[in-house]
Amino acid sequence: MTATAPRPITSGLDPRFALSLYAHVGEQGSWTLESYRARGGYQAARRALSMDPDRIIDEVKASGLRGRGGAGFATGLKWSFMPLKDGRQHYLLCNADESEPGSFKDRYLMSEDPHQLIEGMLIAGYAMRATVGYIYIRGEYILAAERLEGAISEARAAGILGSKVLGSDFDFQLQVHRGAGAYICGEETALMNSLEGLRANPRLKPPFPAAAGLYGLPTTINNVETLCAVTHILRYGASWHAQMGSGKSLGSKLYQISGPVHRPGVYELPMGTTFAELIEDWAGGPTEPIKAIIPGGSSCPMLPYQQDILDLPMDYEAVAAKGSMLGTGGVILIPQNYCIVNATWNLVRFYAHESCGKCTPCREGIAGWMVHVYEKLVRGQGRPEDVDLILDMSDNIAGKSFCALADACLGPVQSSIALFREEYDHLASTGQPLYPRQSRWLGGGAR
Amino acid sequence: MRYFDDKPELVAAILAKYPPQGRRSSLMPLLREVQTALHYVPAEQIEEIAEIVGVTATEVRAVMSFYSTYSTVPQGKYHLQVCATLSCALAGSDELWDDLCETLGISPGEVTPDGLFSVQKVECLGSCGTAPLVQVGELGYHERLSRQDLHALLDALRRGEYPGPHSPLPVFVHSGQQEDAAGARHGAELKPLGENL
Repeated sequence: MTATAPRPITSGLDPRFALSLYAHVGEQGSWTLESYRARGGYQAARRALSMDPDRIIDEVKASGLRGRGGAGFATGLKWSFMPLKDGRQHYLLCNADESEPGSFKDRYLMSEDPHQLIEGMLIAGYAMRATVGYIYIRGEYILAAERLEGAISEARAAGILGSKVLGSDFDFQLQVHRGAGAYICGEETALMNSLEGLRANPRLKPPFPAAAGLYGLPTTINNVETLCAVTHILRYGASWHAQMGSGKSLGSKLYQISGPVHRPGVYELPMGTTFAELIEDWAGGPTEPIKAIIPGGSSCPMLPYQQDILDLPMDYEAVAAKGSMLGTGGVILIPQNYCIVNATWNLVRFYAHESCGKCTPCREGIAGWMVHVYEKLVRGQGRPEDVDLILDMSDNIAGKSFCALADACLGPVQSSIALFREEYDHLASTGQPLYPRQSRWLGGGAR
Repeated sequence: MRYFDDKPELVAAILAKYPPQGRRSSLMPLLREVQTALHYVPAEQIEEIAEIVGVTATEVRAVMSFYSTYSTVPQGKYHLQVCATLSCALAGSDELWDDLCETLGISPGEVTPDGLFSVQKVECLGSCGTAPLVQVGELGYHERLSRQDLHALLDALRRGEYPGPHSPLPVFVHSGQQEDAAGARHGAELKPLGENL
């Protein structure tokens, strides 16, 4: 031990930074038990099963891990909400309903390296005395579901799942449940309703899932990436995890970038890496001039594409301080010559389609009025006062809906008007967008 | 015609995934089974599933109508879904969609006269790094699809040959190291617990 703590790792270019979550993505056969075991797989679970469950929760707390599904809630703290010795059935759910536009990281964790998720669930289940787990995976992830089912079968046959896991006294049953196309299922209580065979309307909280979750029993729901990170925390240690990151955002994170850049994709980087490093050093920079950046999935308010934003560390607090959110880490770049009203309408349409219809502000506000006013504007049939109408509606919807979906829709709406009011006004008063639609299809030319 | 009568093992395997008080959880897997096999869920199967699960047919319909996947009217053998959400739109999904509908001569809700194709515009499929894409029913994703790729895919499907999914990985990792945009590789080696600090 040295007297002073080492400088935290906040760049993927730092020679001390090591990949963990995506280290084997893309390797031939990386999804098999044989490959996983050859690189030390399930040793972390063995170690965990020899520990007192409470010490595992302590270790996850010490690692600083925060939920990777978007909310950034402290994982160890969430686990400690489970009533630990009440004798009832406890459930562990994995939220694999990755549906936030701009997010596509969990998909490859499951299709390319599913055993690290199974191992993370085993550890989490043991820590929370949950003997049954379900992975709720969105219905469209066909390959990922197949690979997960295959990995679970392999693990069962090898005594890694089922009764007396790895020769211990712990039983753990794990099942895959496939969704059927509904964004709202990513909301944890809606996910539980969906898993119970109901329409996926969110439930009133409290009670929180740890008190009354799946089938009314104590339940914890974690994102795919969160559970995979648990595996590596138990494998490499809480202090290894905590030496990466900035402020209160620690560990390694999967950032995604899409839109017009040279290399769109998923990059594993320490938390606190700057947007500039992701966009320039990893993704190779934009292929055309950019005007706005969505920092973490479509629900996060847009930020202007300018130096002070690009220099921000991608951590929860730094992005929140600029009035947006880190969310899932799904960065989308919006090009200069793409009509911002059209881009925002695209997202409003998404939320309108995905509104579950349970509460009035979202059903009538987002799925009714908001999407219609946007459609009218984009079709060139708007009136100058429509922009203020949108802002007025936003004000009436904000904070008044049953779950976060309506507010999520307002993220792009309010931020895009604040940043690009002149585009809205031009379209609303002339019927013509400042930036007319152009073909953007690759290889698009003549047929 | 009943669907599950001669498949008792399949039904038992689905029911066994959930606890006795969670019998209703089998609803979605049973619906998916029928949707995949018949390309829609006929009224008779709605009744049948209601019977298996122990709810009314109305409740099954209520669940079905909530989700995008289930259809109460027949779809084509190949149900082609185009993601239209922002990252895909920035990669040309609007043009892809127009081209697809024009080429096949159908709109959503219709099936081509040969029964092969139906189309649906859907929301984010988690393919933002490999946009745009077409999902072919339960078979797979076809990503980073150019106009030429799309027409080659349609031609193959018309011949009755499904070429298999096309899902390039938007990930730049090689042997535990991540390649930056300039081609340099980064990433330290991880050692077991206690040896990393």
